[in-house]
Amino acid sequence: MSKNLCFRGVQVLTENGLGQPQDFYVSNGRWVATVPQAEVIEAAGSWILPGFHALGVDFQEPVRDDIYTNRDGFEAMRRGGFFSALYESNANPVDDLPKLKALQDACGKSGLDFHFLGAISVGHAGKALAEMLELAAGGVVGFGDGNHLPSNLRFLRLALEYASMTGLRCFFQPTASSLVGKGCVHEGHYADTLGMKGIPPLAETIAVHQILELAGWLKVPVHLKQLTCAESLNLIRNARKRGVDVTCDISIYHLLLDDSILVELDTHTHLLPPLRTAEDREALWQGLAEGTVQAISCAHSPVLPQDKEVNFEDSMPGAVSLEIAFAALLPSAIKYLPGGVEDLVKLMVQGPAQICSIPSRALTLDQENPFLLFDPSVNWNPKGFDFAGQVQNTPLLGKPLHGRVLGTFFDGSWKWNQ
Amino acid sequence: MLSLLYACKRNAKKIPTLREYRNFFGLTADALQHAKPEVLIMHPGPINRGVEIDSVVADGANSVILDQVTNGVAVRMAVMYLLSGGRVDE
Repeated sequence: MSKNLCFRGVQVLTENGLGQPQDFYVSNGRWVATVPQAEVIEAAGSWILPGFHALGVDFQEPVRDDIYTNRDGFEAMRRGGFFSALYESNANPVDDLPKLKALQDACGKSGLDFHFLGAISVGHAGKALAEMLELAAGGVVGFGDGNHLPSNLRFLRLALEYASMTGLRCFFQPTASSLVGKGCVHEGHYADTLGMKGIPPLAETIAVHQILELAGWLKVPVHLKQLTCAESLNLIRNARKRGVDVTCDISIYHLLLDDSILVELDTHTHLLPPLRTAEDREALWQGLAEGTVQAISCAHSPVLPQDKEVNFEDSMPGAVSLEIAFAALLPSAIKYLPGGVEDLVKLMVQGPAQICSIPSRALTLDQENPFLLFDPSVNWNPKGFDFAGQVQNTPLLGKPLHGRVLGTFFDGSWKWNQ
Repeated sequence: MLSLLYACKRNAKKIPTLREYRNFFGLTADALQHAKPEVLIMHPGPINRGVEIDSVVADGANSVILDQVTNGVAVRMAVMYLLSGGRVDE
């Protein structure tokens, strides 16, 4: 049984927005009006926020547990205030029931709330359909082939038709791989200046167009992951006008950075899909502000230091983000989103839950609520030890952040981050 | 409740595996529990036993598959006869 807690002088974010400073009492995991003999935590000026929902999570165990483990991932989620996640395995395609059960068992011990995507094709190879009906009966909330998009359009059509029997959403990373080739950065001014091979925005927009055409024709709900281009959002707006059921997300780093940062030649900025232009980044924020985009994805991709300490072109793409996501996004969210912090929380709680077709968890009196304590006044620079596991591959390592998750009410008890 | 169950041959291109086909589309004894006790079981043949339909169902008391197949031969013969110019009163 957990202790009774009182967070003194905090602002609580509910469905009505960020409230006035108050005392926030917790008893047995429930937010209660008051409780006797509570341990008092002085937290004036801090915010109590609902637990976040992570999109784009793959801890790579057991296939690459030399890089990262489930335990590392659970700890990273806790530090960042994430209490639920959509697990979409790239390293170990969930293409049959035993793999799904193994993941459900492994993640079920964490105290966190995990949901899973089943594979569309066996081994994400885009050649043979996975047993999607069985995976749906096993509890997946949607289907996806990780970062692989089947290049054979007939196969994609069959996959969407088959998935439609389940009523679940299909998730795609819209990238036409034949247009990527050996490209590693956005094709544009900075790629030319640095002599790097580029990936044109067309590699994304062509794939978005194909998926939307098929989804509209077959009347199948789809989700497009980690969009990077302004034009992709235009295609989605037009498709919605035609009645296509499409949702989409943008990853944290595509909202925070653009390709001008490539001049630093920091391999931590090597991401796939690549960072696009400043104009694209502005358009992505606009898409969030006006509701074209439903959620912000973490795209949490651990990479070993030795795979980043090489030439940019030879480095492994990817960045971790769970531990710092909210703090990193907050200043830009206040600048770009009309509802500021409230809109940002919606994009990290309700939006992802809606995409996964699971209930979202707003903070409500007398209900058991996962929550976190966030202090917006803390200025800090994330160091290596602030990240779980042996990786700390993020472009924001050592960079100033404003605001910090101080602790979380996790698995029935309160845990501080420091 | 269902009064008639008409099984068809599977579309191999659209279903990933025989196992998944049987589990979700196959006419099994368990599936039959959801039909009326007097339900009629039909299938145009040939049967893939254990895939589209289990033997216990295909050969069970509710099955009219053998009658259907037998009558199907006579009906086809009659249609071909009429299409080739034959008359009903001959």
